[in-house]
Amino acid sequence: MTQPPPYGQAPQDTQPPPASRPRTTLAVAMEQSRYRLMVTAAVVTAVFSAISVKLVAATVFVPAGEPRQHHALEVDGTTTNRADILDRNGNLLATSLVTQSLYADPKLVSRPEEAARKLVSALPELDYKDVYAKLSGDKRFVWLKRNLSPKQQYAVHRLGIPGVSFEREERRFFPAGNLTSHVVGFTGVDNNGLSGLEQSFNKRLTEDPATPLQLSIDLRLQHVLKKELAATVQEFSAIGAAGIIFDVRSGEVMAMTSLPDFDPQDPTGLDPDTLFNRATLGVYEMGSTFKIFNSALAFESGKIKVSDYFDAIHPIKIGRFTINEYHGLGRALTVAEVFQHSSNLGSVRMVQQVGIPAQKAFMAKMGFTRPTALELPENGWPLVPNPWREVNSMTISFGHGISVSPMHTVTAAASVINGGVMHQPTLIKRAPGAEVPGEQVVSRQTSEMMRRMFRFVVTEGTGKSAGVKGYVVGGKTGTADKQKGRHYQKNSRMSSFLGAFPMNDPRYIVYVLVDEPKATAKTYGYATGGWVAAPAVGRIIKQVGPLLNVPIQDEASPEILNATFLNAAGSTNWVAPPHPPATATTAKGSTVASFPPPAKQQR
Amino acid sequence: MKGKTWLFWGGLIAAAGGVLFQTSYDVQDLEDKLAGLNRKIVTEQESIQVLKAEWSYLNDPTKLEELATAHLALQPIEARQFLALDTIPMRPAPAPDAVPAPVPGRGLTPVPPPMAGLAAPQLASARVPSARVPMEAALEKAPVITPASLPVPAPVRAAPIKPSALVPASARAPALPPSPPAPAAATPGKLAPNAPLPSLNRPTDVASRPMPAPIKLTPVKGQAYTPKPTDSLGLLVARLGANQ
Repeated sequence: MTQPPPYGQAPQDTQPPPASRPRTTLAVAMEQSRYRLMVTAAVVTAVFSAISVKLVAATVFVPAGEPRQHHALEVDGTTTNRADILDRNGNLLATSLVTQSLYADPKLVSRPEEAARKLVSALPELDYKDVYAKLSGDKRFVWLKRNLSPKQQYAVHRLGIPGVSFEREERRFFPAGNLTSHVVGFTGVDNNGLSGLEQSFNKRLTEDPATPLQLSIDLRLQHVLKKELAATVQEFSAIGAAGIIFDVRSGEVMAMTSLPDFDPQDPTGLDPDTLFNRATLGVYEMGSTFKIFNSALAFESGKIKVSDYFDAIHPIKIGRFTINEYHGLGRALTVAEVFQHSSNLGSVRMVQQVGIPAQKAFMAKMGFTRPTALELPENGWPLVPNPWREVNSMTISFGHGISVSPMHTVTAAASVINGGVMHQPTLIKRAPGAEVPGEQVVSRQTSEMMRRMFRFVVTEGTGKSAGVKGYVVGGKTGTADKQKGRHYQKNSRMSSFLGAFPMNDPRYIVYVLVDEPKATAKTYGYATGGWVAAPAVGRIIKQVGPLLNVPIQDEASPEILNATFLNAAGSTNWVAPPHPPATATTAKGSTVASFPPPAKQQR
Repeated sequence: MKGKTWLFWGGLIAAAGGVLFQTSYDVQDLEDKLAGLNRKIVTEQESIQVLKAEWSYLNDPTKLEELATAHLALQPIEARQFLALDTIPMRPAPAPDAVPAPVPGRGLTPVPPPMAGLAAPQLASARVPSARVPMEAALEKAPVITPASLPVPAPVRAAPIKPSALVPASARAPALPPSPPAPAAATPGKLAPNAPLPSLNRPTDVASRPMPAPIKLTPVKGQAYTPKPTDSLGLLVARLGANQ
């Protein structure tokens, strides 16, 4: 026995300790397999515990299960992919209806001639040769007919032709038809808006199909407007007309029509004039209607009072032009009379006193230099002279040399009479009580005086035939010669009337523009705004007044006269007549102090 | 013991399996039902859409106006047919214990009651202010609507303001016969009987017109109306027919 080696040193050349027996191969194998078993058990345990953990988590903690095959539909939802368009009272103007369309896979059609013959027998409007050519072609997909009615679908289905099947599609349907054709517009065969609001709101209509788009248009007013315009067009053999009813307080367009109109259901193959929207896209020289803005400009400048006199006798020569009166009176006129008789010379002298830069700035403020904010894609750019020379300034004072759309004119005129606030026009209904964005463009005093001028034209001026008892109508006529090429034509003109009511507190503007009216015997050979458009406006106001809930007022009552009186000399002071006629009891009341004091004299 | 344990667990597994299968089939049934309901909802929504479209189509003002002029005796509303609420006079306060005070119509000088000698005048004069004020004031506010050219109707007791005085001249009632003064003799404490207004029995404009010929309702079936495929109404009618 030798000493064991010191601690830490490997034994060298020593016998193994007697306690340990020599390791046999069997023992080694046993140990090895025990280790393997342990490892396997550990792995299996780990995997199974992972599975159990996942199992518990998946079954107990997460309510997973299979994905649901069906989900309950909302009852108020919609099945279509394009939102409806409603008028302000909720009447449908455009909606989508589900239809079936017929298509074929020519590869699967075994006997094209027989299939084509059967199809043509079921759908007689199809052409045999066309169908045969389609069915025997090489494509994998051809449309045979879009938007079948259910009966047609049934008939085709019964034939049982292999390779011919149906596809669910939508079709845009316009219940109001021609009435709103230029406002709502129309869609193509794939339901994309191609004109009108269908085009400008295409994204909105497809992205939110459940919420209908509500317009400011009132279908009843639209009907009245179109009916009277059509009657006027027929009476004066005009080539077209445009009309607008406009809420001066909110800027909402209550009705808008352009004649000739079209059926939005089938807008193909129409001439461009029919599709042309005269109310927004057409820009025209407005003629005397622009004297509204010339007078407002004169008052705004502070240099001109309503009682100032202007020379209306001597024609003005500038360059190769001579400016003359349409029907001259041969004397000097006050501003009120210039407006009343629609005097060109007086208007030119007024703008000469105001100056060109002021006029230019004012016309820009009135919005005549850019398109209106209306939501239609058909929104015309005005034709503005550049440079704005003296001769342009003169002609613009009576409405020639600048071309704007009727919508421009109505929007600007609304701002002139509603207290001076310019509201951009809109075709979308404003929420009741919502604040209306606006911009003060003329002063309240100017606006108040312009109301009197409007009323004066209807009581004693060129627009008498627009008067409607009870509605205190005011307005301004307009007649412009049409330009063909470089020359004005004598016998083709645009006659218009811009009427507003009630003038003591204006609510609505009714505008009518007639394109190329021909004089008739009834109008004594005249085809001017006062003879053509003013009666139409009167008839329209008579019918829409009750619909718009405008209260009837007594036009001879002192309240109304105090608010709207103006005489030729430019005085706004209304004095009760000394011998009041039938309405004696009310006229006596005018001395009572509770009436509002007569309006202040204009500057 | 071992066999019982097996039996227990085996039974539990079988029961669980059975319940699971039952639930699975129930769910399948419900899913099918839901799918059916969804299909029905879609069909209904499409039908509603079609009906809405047709309603709007039939309510087109242009068509309505044509129909109205063809079948009705009505005219468009005019301004003169409107009255502000405050211009309509209140009914005079009833006098339960007295002869109603004679309130003359507008433009009349107050007519003394025919039986001036009785106690009625005192009662009447005492009542006049309260009865007069709202009516006269109201009438003064409505000068236009009451045309001054109306023939002055003879005063009728207990009917101080005749409806015919408020309607415009074109609907003028026939002149009333002068009412006999006899009703005034009624004893105080009783209301004078109302004189019958002849205008009430007058046939109205509409009633006097011959009845419009009844519209012949043609059944929308078969040959009665064959919708053209391009016709929008045809599309609607066809759809409606198919939805039945």
